[in-house]
Amino acid sequence: MKQPQRSIMVLTGDLPDADLTTGIEPLRLEVRSDGDTAAFEVLDTHVGSVRQADQLLLRSGKRLTVLSGGDHVASQDALPKHRFVDDLDDGPVKSALQHAPRLRSLLSTGAGTISHRDIWVRDDDDKTLARARLTTLSPEGDGQAITITDLQPLRGYDKAMDWLRAHLAAVAENAPTGASNLADMLFPDQPRYDAKPDVAITADDTAWHTANRIIAAYLRVARLNETGIIADHDTEFLHDYRVALRKVRSVLSLFKGAYSDDATAAFKGAASELMAPTGRLRDLDVYLLAQDDYFAMLPETLHDGLELMFGMFRKERRKAHRSLSARLASDDYDNMIRAFQAAVEDPDRAGQGPEAHVGIGDFGSRLIWKRYRKVCRLARTITADTPDEQVHELRILCKKLRYLMEFFAPLYPASAVKPVLKPLKRLQDNLGLFNDYSVQQAFLQDFLDRHEPLGHKRDLALAQSIGALIAVLHERQKEERARIMTSFSKFDGPEIRSRFGSLFHDKET
Amino acid sequence: MKIVACYSNKGGVGKTAASVNLAYAFAEAGNRVLLCDLDPQGAASFYFRVKPSQKLQNEAFFEESKQVAKAIRGSDYENLDILPANMTFRDFDIFLSRMKNSRSRLKKAMKAVGADYDIIVLDCPPNISTLSESVLQAADLIVVPVIPTTLSERTFEQLLEFVEGQDALKVSKKQIAAFFSMVQRQKALHGETMTRMREAYPKRMLDAVLPFATDVERMGVNRAPLLAFAPDRPSAKAYRDVFRELQQRLNKD
Repeated sequence: MKQPQRSIMVLTGDLPDADLTTGIEPLRLEVRSDGDTAAFEVLDTHVGSVRQADQLLLRSGKRLTVLSGGDHVASQDALPKHRFVDDLDDGPVKSALQHAPRLRSLLSTGAGTISHRDIWVRDDDDKTLARARLTTLSPEGDGQAITITDLQPLRGYDKAMDWLRAHLAAVAENAPTGASNLADMLFPDQPRYDAKPDVAITADDTAWHTANRIIAAYLRVARLNETGIIADHDTEFLHDYRVALRKVRSVLSLFKGAYSDDATAAFKGAASELMAPTGRLRDLDVYLLAQDDYFAMLPETLHDGLELMFGMFRKERRKAHRSLSARLASDDYDNMIRAFQAAVEDPDRAGQGPEAHVGIGDFGSRLIWKRYRKVCRLARTITADTPDEQVHELRILCKKLRYLMEFFAPLYPASAVKPVLKPLKRLQDNLGLFNDYSVQQAFLQDFLDRHEPLGHKRDLALAQSIGALIAVLHERQKEERARIMTSFSKFDGPEIRSRFGSLFHDKET
Repeated sequence: MKIVACYSNKGGVGKTAASVNLAYAFAEAGNRVLLCDLDPQGAASFYFRVKPSQKLQNEAFFEESKQVAKAIRGSDYENLDILPANMTFRDFDIFLSRMKNSRSRLKKAMKAVGADYDIIVLDCPPNISTLSESVLQAADLIVVPVIPTTLSERTFEQLLEFVEGQDALKVSKKQIAAFFSMVQRQKALHGETMTRMREAYPKRMLDAVLPFATDVERMGVNRAPLLAFAPDRPSAKAYRDVFRELQQRLNKD
């Protein structure tokens, strides 16, 4: 309160007492350690949300501390069962972490010991002129120690504070630093995860090499999620795993002619085999995550049936998780995915298709342009009376177009691709919701038809609730469908058309 | 914001020790406290090891409220700041009245630099003529240590006469809170004087009694408030009792 200039400075190294108390005359410096060292962990989500927000999140005992931007510290208590930001009690740490994705859990990315020291700068009368509290993080492993200094100036002794700041910085191994690179300093070997890795693509590269590289990159992404799926940290591991495999599959179907038909079929088979055992668990995750929404859709009188249904989902999810975990941990799986990785990583293998040696620049533009025209052709035929199947087909076409544009994005200026992607994304959002509502109706109907009997009364409650849900979802699907044509007309405007033409079909514009 | 003036028109009664320990007690209770050392001897500053600040330019001083903030020194204790001895009382009048007026520029400027206080404790010089009228007027409480001797009894009466004679000051007598200081229980005279004075001034004498103790003198060696270095000694407890009674009186307003 009265010390508004209190500030944080982050330094590298452990600032040994002997160094702190050397070369300070005529001032005196007292260092007092509170003796205890405790264990600490650095926490972050799998995608590094905390680090990317220029923060460092620490847990020591039941205390959570977040350092933001290298000069702001906030703390609050948290229990070990508080794994998600939403689980935390309201407090300064929770507020500081609001940017983190809701579905990502906070995981330990490294550990070490934490210790605290207080220092006092005094004059010849032993009057305290400045104070600081030093918190030193000593990581396990080869990382570098970090000392967070909480500088506590006293009113009227600014010069002493300036002196202390300079003194501490001189004792440290490096200049003051921000929070974003602290995790890397502490734990340099910690791998970074990126769900959308940059795959280097150049226009003169061949379709063959590019396809190999993209598939290899996404197989790696998939594999980085295996442990998280088995440990069941959060649902996003499986989600990312599936997205990565879907990208692998889409390269196989989109890079037509890069691989021979046989090679394409073999890889597609492998990708499907990897994907197949994940479907049920993901479906159940999706429903369980949407639990609150489902309850909100129905009046309370129908909640009993929902309780029953979600109880059954939870039970089935446990089973599905066990079975997928066993699969991912098996030698069979390991051998298979390794073989897949080895195959795409060997450029000299057989299986090249007729387009294997085409330069990727032309190849990409041609594919995108073709796919774009297909989307437009189909979308223009869609009216209020078109059967749902055609809308589904449009969704798949759009998805493929989107994947193509993402794969080949490095070949085009980002500023040119972005305005084209935006209306496409919006259209896809509509199509995605439309599809979700339809898939959910089918899933619920199927569940209703096939669930094991619970006894007459409970079966009835379940059937009533599910019936009502299906009705609501059907209504929503209709509403979403009405929006699709509007979104498409925005996507099909003259401006987007000319942008597509000039980006991907240069010769004819 | 409340102003507590420690005052005695007689020297050597434990006034500065009271200022220092009461300021500490207020701060310890969570109040943001500024102790102003108005005694030219600078004893209060000495107890807190604060060196006198550089000569302040009297003219410009209160125009430049920043300079007030600049003269203030943080003590070694939480919530407790010191304004070292260095100003003329004319300046100090203005300082106090502006700090009391929540709309004044000084008050706002002090607030802006985080120097707004809940309690201002004044360690006043022992000379009644130099303690200006408006300092007395600004004070919410005037705390007077009294050694229970005949001589002190007389000076206390003089103080009251002075205050009563200053109708224009609007200093109500209830603002005066006196306590017995340096009391030696074994001296019959002390006991008799205390009884007599409690009867004469029932509302002005606090219940708490500060015993004569070398602990208080050790403050000069330790250069710290007694409450900080010997919090469990009888004298420390007595200061806390005085503090509690003062707090009750302040809360009544």
